[in-house]
Amino acid sequence: MYKVNDRELLNPSEVIEFLYCPRFIYYMRCLKIPQNEHNRFKVMKGRDIHQYKSQINKEYVRKKIACTKKEIDIFLHSKKLGLKGKVDEVLQLADGTMAPLDYKFAEYKGVIYSTYRIQALIYGALISENYEKPVYTGYLCYIRSKNYLAEIKFTQRDWLILDAALKDMRKIIEENYYPKATKYKARCVDCCYKNICVEGLEASKSLEISGF
Amino acid sequence: MLVWVIYDISQDKLRSRVFKICKGYGLYSVQKSVFVGNMEPHEIDELCLRFDDIIKHDEDSVYVFPMCKSDFKAVKLLGQAFDKRLVSDGIKRLFL
Repeated sequence: MYKVNDRELLNPSEVIEFLYCPRFIYYMRCLKIPQNEHNRFKVMKGRDIHQYKSQINKEYVRKKIACTKKEIDIFLHSKKLGLKGKVDEVLQLADGTMAPLDYKFAEYKGVIYSTYRIQALIYGALISENYEKPVYTGYLCYIRSKNYLAEIKFTQRDWLILDAALKDMRKIIEENYYPKATKYKARCVDCCYKNICVEGLEASKSLEISGF
Repeated sequence: MLVWVIYDISQDKLRSRVFKICKGYGLYSVQKSVFVGNMEPHEIDELCLRFDDIIKHDEDSVYVFPMCKSDFKAVKLLGQAFDKRLVSDGIKRLFL
């Protein structure tokens, strides 16, 4: 149980960023250094497309996945988990269960990354708690792969990853703990904090191409 | 990785926009409508998205060719060619 007040609720994006590199949370929440996402072309384009997607085909329900009803852009929160988030689509399925659907401005490369899995799981948990209906699956719609719909079956392992991530995030925020950076150095190259993070600076140097 | 960007754009205004975008990503202009330089994979992806947004798909064309080290070494340059070391970021500082 996470005893948090409403202002301290975490959102799925922060959890994803934490899983990408734990130092994201430290820089954002402890040092209050903004990411300046508005400077990133892909982020802004993704947001525009999200906006567009939420306005078209409002009545369309996906028959392929036996969806009977959908709600668009639903803001949910959970005091139990200490999470809040806006779900792109909340789907009611024919078998009485519910499922989140999240649009991704990305290409489907044959594998669903754990960050996406956990984000879908968070949305699933929020839906399950707020609607009091079981949630066993989540859906991702890959916009850059002709709206390819990928299904995620939630497993116990996903819950364990989420639980551990939330505990670690609380530790960083509440104790101002400076965590270790991700072990995957390639992630530092595209990180918005690479200029202030020691790991990022080192990774940039090590990955630099020193002439042909 | 090393990337070649080659474009054929009919409108002057659009062409200059593409030129400026390439310059903005640190690419070197080696010929008219031909750029080369070092880019990260995510930068290449972003560059392609930017081009996709502005070009006229029924008139214009843009080619983005990634190239590996060994292939770049095998490139033959004749006449007024560019500096291989400069475009591949082999030279870190320029004193003029």
